Amino acid sequence: MIEVRGLRVVLPPATVALYGVDLVVEPGEFVMIIGRSGAGKTTFLRAINRLVEPTAGTVHVAGEPVTGADPRALRRVRRRIGMIFQQFNLVRRASVLENVLAGRLGYVPEWPSLLGRFPVRDRALARECLAQVGLTALADRRADTLSGGEQQRVAIARALAQEPQVVLGDEPTASLDPALAQVILGILRRINEERRLTLVVSQHQLESALEHGTRIVGFRAGRIVFDGPPRAVTPAVVAAIYGEEAA
Amino acid sequence: MKRAALVASLGLLAGIAWHLGADPVRFARGLPWMWDFVRRMVPPDPAVLPSALVGALGTLEIALLGTALAAMLAVPLGFLSARNVAPPAVYYVARTALNFFRSIDTLVYALLFVAAVGLGPFPGMLAVVAYTTTSLAKLYSETIEGIDAGPVDAITTTGATRLQVLRFGVLPQVLPLFFSYVLYRFESNVRAATVLGFVGAGGIGLYLQTYLRMIDYPAASTVLLVTVLMVVGVDYASARIRARLV
Repeated sequence: MIEVRGLRVVLPPATVALYGVDLVVEPGEFVMIIGRSGAGKTTFLRAINRLVEPTAGTVHVAGEPVTGADPRALRRVRRRIGMIFQQFNLVRRASVLENVLAGRLGYVPEWPSLLGRFPVRDRALARECLAQVGLTALADRRADTLSGGEQQRVAIARALAQEPQVVLGDEPTASLDPALAQVILGILRRINEERRLTLVVSQHQLESALEHGTRIVGFRAGRIVFDGPPRAVTPAVVAAIYGEEAA
Repeated sequence: MKRAALVASLGLLAGIAWHLGADPVRFARGLPWMWDFVRRMVPPDPAVLPSALVGALGTLEIALLGTALAAMLAVPLGFLSARNVAPPAVYYVARTALNFFRSIDTLVYALLFVAAVGLGPFPGMLAVVAYTTTSLAKLYSETIEGIDAGPVDAITTTGATRLQVLRFGVLPQVLPLFFSYVLYRFESNVRAATVLGFVGAGGIGLYLQTYLRMIDYPAASTVLLVTVLMVVGVDYASARIRARLV
């Protein structure tokens, strides 16, 4: 589903964030990315949909090339890749339903959408996605009046509205308290199991990563230093990923 | 070091005062004349109140239509001169053009437009449009540059086009601030439009200048009072609306 080859990212002016990373993710996997701050987790996720431009290497999603795609092709493949963020990144002054509808932007006719007009079918789909995260009652509320946990559920609904094959999560629970984090991870796991969606999520908290992921990938200083099932994460592995000695 | 800088600054200011011919004695000698001027303005002449109000209405109309047109014209210019939205080549050209035209004051534009289209409130309105468009475009672009990148990222990842990203990721963040800047410009434009009449570009300034030339000081003071009340009223109303926006 995701095929990353030799992915190298140099952030301006000259910080090497990733040194030639290879990773193949199969359909239906729930990959948890772990590692210390600055290990390259965020850059890796953002390079998959080219929010960060890779310096070298290739990325394919669902067989389509992401790297080297022209703007139109890039938009087409981005529709297939939902993304959720640590800060939720909702449009704060818009309603909850409008935020979820934004997930349809890649599919609907451009000019009507600029006037706020969306086809009936897409509106219905947005409502359906909102129902899946249990927020139907809040559809008309302004997004910034919701709690953090609710906002992240709206963001998940927005990603689902894209009818994606892949959902990327950049520390989606890091701004939430532990109980809410469990709720969000539970929702992600459910869509992974019920919809067979492929998930790649970075996670600060090791225990919840091991609990919810089907596969663990450990980053350290811009390289993958571990790749295996949760049960293979031994104390020695944890030390290799998080260890104190200079990276 | 500090003392040397202070002495040098005071020396410079003294030099400028000498160059300007700023003379305290001459000022003191003029004081009785100023008092005479004020004395002759009292009481204001209520007979000219209707024409003063017509002039005030003209000034408000110039400021309102001019600001409204500029508020719209400045939107595309604001995006073109925002570093985080426009391509670098466009950004530099737009920024340079804005800084150039912004250095020309409304009154100077009024002189140009009076020469071009003749006397009356129309050239005054055009002058307000010309100055306000560039000044709002600058404020807009700085607002756009200060937005939260998060929602922009989120909209981008849905596969949205550039225009859709602007419409859904950028506009909702900047519109309330744009509106607040437009109100602020409207306040300043009411003030600027009070003197447009001096160069024949319409509004209440025309009446003030006429009565002063006719040496009809009571009439001039009525016009002045109306001007002050209008500016204060607009400032107050606009400040209240802006407080509610942010």
